[in-house]
Amino acid sequence: MSRLYLYALLGGPPSGPLGAGLAGEPLRLVRCGDLLAVAGDVPKAPSIDAASLRAHDATVRRLAEMVEAVLPIRFCTLVDDESALAGLLEPQRAGLGEALALVAGREQMTLRLYGEGLHDDAPLPDAEPSLPGPGARYLAARRRERRRAHGSREMAALRRGLGALIVDERVERHDMPPLLASLYHLIERGASARYLSALETIAGELGAVRARATGPWPPYAFAPGAIP
Amino acid sequence: MKPKARRRLRNVLDEADASLLDLVDHVLNKGVVIEGEVLLGLANVDLVYLRLAAVLCAADRLERTNESRRRRARS
Repeated sequence: MSRLYLYALLGGPPSGPLGAGLAGEPLRLVRCGDLLAVAGDVPKAPSIDAASLRAHDATVRRLAEMVEAVLPIRFCTLVDDESALAGLLEPQRAGLGEALALVAGREQMTLRLYGEGLHDDAPLPDAEPSLPGPGARYLAARRRERRRAHGSREMAALRRGLGALIVDERVERHDMPPLLASLYHLIERGASARYLSALETIAGELGAVRARATGPWPPYAFAPGAIP
Repeated sequence: MKPKARRRLRNVLDEADASLLDLVDHVLNKGVVIEGEVLLGLANVDLVYLRLAAVLCAADRLERTNESRRRRARS
């Protein structure tokens, strides 16, 4: 029995033919309410190797060229059939609609920060043991983590230099020197050359931290659930 | 993670060129997550990410070595 391999959600109908997917299977549109998914019927899961990863990315990129808004679906996502897909998308409909609106006409740059460490803005307060319940403590911990993820001298310099080009940002702190953080920036389509030249201008303000950018990418990091 | 899946994953990561690692991060670790249906249950995503972060570190060292080699070649 074949299953549906999912590639992306589109913000509207594509301007050209969808072409073929990973296994050479013809791609088709599956409508789920107001969401449009691009899928292919495959007899089995693709092998997890470099060629499949590249083919998945190439397919998503090709789709992105044919439509204003695209949300890539994580590699190797399979569902049994169209009704199973509808059942899974339905609870996420509002969030997915908002995400599609955010990425419309935009693409992603990825910035990796390397070095010995980042300079945090200010010492973070200790955990707050006096908070009444586990829920409040959990939320306080999330706030601390978010502040720690976003607040460093280097990231502030990057935001000053790139700020005008950045529509939205996702940050992951790794703190596994030399890999310190990954920053995913949503920019307007076609702005990647300006992004790279702005980055070159501010590289000197980062001290011992090295910033390496890749892109443009389809907006992988701006899909709901991609980064908690 | 099953040994076979681990071996296949290692094959992906061993071809450690920086662009492939970026691809692994974006394609495997990001994107719309449709709960419960991602086949990567076979490759616990946190574990993939840890390995990926480790290899990305190596990629940085590799790039720096290449840069210094190029600089030496120019001088």
